Amino acid sequence: MGTMNHPRDNDLALLAGGEAGRIRRFLLDRHVRTCADCQETIAEYRELRSAMAEPGLPDLNWNFLAADMRANIRLGLEAGACVGTTHVFRRWNPKLGIAFASLAFLVVAGFFLRDLRPLRIPNTVPTVDAATVLRSTGSEVEIRTGSRSLALLNHHGDAANQTVSARGDIETRYIDSETGAVTINNVYLQ
Amino acid sequence: MSIFNRTRTAVLACAFLSVTPLFTQETALDPLSSLKIDLPPDAPLNLISTSMGDGSRATSRGGAIVLDLHMGLTLRNSGLKHIRGVTLLITAQEFAPGGKGSVARPSIDVPPGENFTLPIDIRLVRPVRETAGPLVRVQLDGVLFDDLSFYGPNKLNSQRALTFWEVEAQRDRAYFKQALQARGEKGLQQEILASLAKQADRPQLDVSLMRNGRAVGSTVPATDHVAQFAFLNLPGAPVQPLEGWAAISGNEARSPQIEVVNNSGKPVRYVEIGWLVKDKQGREYLAGSVPASETTMVLPPGQRTRLQQDTALKFSRSGRPIEIDGMTAYVSQVEFADGRVWVPSRRDLDSSPLLRVTAPSPEEQRLADIYSKKGLAALVAELNRY
Repeated sequence: MGTMNHPRDNDLALLAGGEAGRIRRFLLDRHVRTCADCQETIAEYRELRSAMAEPGLPDLNWNFLAADMRANIRLGLEAGACVGTTHVFRRWNPKLGIAFASLAFLVVAGFFLRDLRPLRIPNTVPTVDAATVLRSTGSEVEIRTGSRSLALLNHHGDAANQTVSARGDIETRYIDSETGAVTINNVYLQ
Repeated sequence: MSIFNRTRTAVLACAFLSVTPLFTQETALDPLSSLKIDLPPDAPLNLISTSMGDGSRATSRGGAIVLDLHMGLTLRNSGLKHIRGVTLLITAQEFAPGGKGSVARPSIDVPPGENFTLPIDIRLVRPVRETAGPLVRVQLDGVLFDDLSFYGPNKLNSQRALTFWEVEAQRDRAYFKQALQARGEKGLQQEILASLAKQADRPQLDVSLMRNGRAVGSTVPATDHVAQFAFLNLPGAPVQPLEGWAAISGNEARSPQIEVVNNSGKPVRYVEIGWLVKDKQGREYLAGSVPASETTMVLPPGQRTRLQQDTALKFSRSGRPIEIDGMTAYVSQVEFADGRVWVPSRRDLDSSPLLRVTAPSPEEQRLADIYSKKGLAALVAELNRY
């Protein structure tokens, strides 16, 4: 013999009060008709409901209380009128909405872009002393300041002799393979 | 991965795909419009043509302009004398306080009315927004004639450099001619083969150079030590080095200072000291030179002066730093107040094995190249030309 699945207590309570939906009521009625336990539960809920329908009230002068409350409300309204007109709260303010939308966009953009470091080339003319480096390799002499650079290259990358002057210049000397003539490139730090 | 990370990755991917073409796109510019060539109207040179070689381009990539120029300037000697050397000044706008370059052609013999071509190969990277005017300017800085007279604004002291190269060329041509006359073609061949061997054995360093950022004579950092120069005294030198030192830290040498005395009977206005360094394994290299200050020096006979430069040089070879263990110096160039110059003789250069590491003169390099490519007969013909 299998165990019976009983409806939940809140469904039984709704059925007892006549507040269950149609389909739910139909299904619950089918079960309750054959289930003595649930019939007993529903009967208890109905007794409780009828007991709550007529609660005992304290012995108060309700007309006096109502008059007192009306007087207080009137007094508050008159006091507010003395201070000045009040702005009526609007449910929708377009400017405020735009401001909040912009703020939200900034926050979201900041979140998504917080790890990105865009490459920027400074747009100011650098001074030579600002970490300007002059360097030579076998085939070129280059002066570099940050991301700016100027290089003189040997024609066709021909091999070169180089000479460095402590004054601040580097010279590369190579034979032009086309003409056989010597060409000397020199780049100066100042 | 949380929902935030997934969303963020997706948005970043979309943004990257939409923005990437903007940054990787190369916008072709006209290289010729990036260049301005100025020759004075009274110059003894006329610009005949400018040819742009393969690979010349000016492109706008992201926030930068990349200019690659591989060009040849064909110039004509419009004067009345033979031209022995030319220097062109190369400037780029954004390095206005400095950062200029030059392209020189020494050791030539161009008669009046003849053309010659000078190659200029430049690579420039700069912000795209500074695009007013040409990116690179080429100007004439000087022309040296066969009588050692000079024309030009001489902003780079080209007169001195071209004169030194020409005097070295005369010395070396005379040396090889003398070998030919005294010992015949076989003797000349032996000399030129020795020169080629010396050039092949000559070790070269990669050097980076920057301003020191501290005053000359300031306190030496704890990691540095002061190393003294040893000197090679060449017998015929009109100026003699007395003492000198530089701050050394690993592969870096900075603030070299050398005291010299004028032993000649004439006032001297320029001295240059050749600078050799030795590594921990005992190998010698030509590190560079320590020149006198350009404008201030006039050294009377018998007087002393100090050559000092406020720069830092770092040496490496094949990407590996060269630890400096010792330094040697010798007088390599002297210019007198009357404009005459002195360079070491061939005998001076052969007087010490240390000087094997010095660079050959441009003329010796050119003559050796003629022998290598065209043979002994071509070299003899070249020596007999002038």
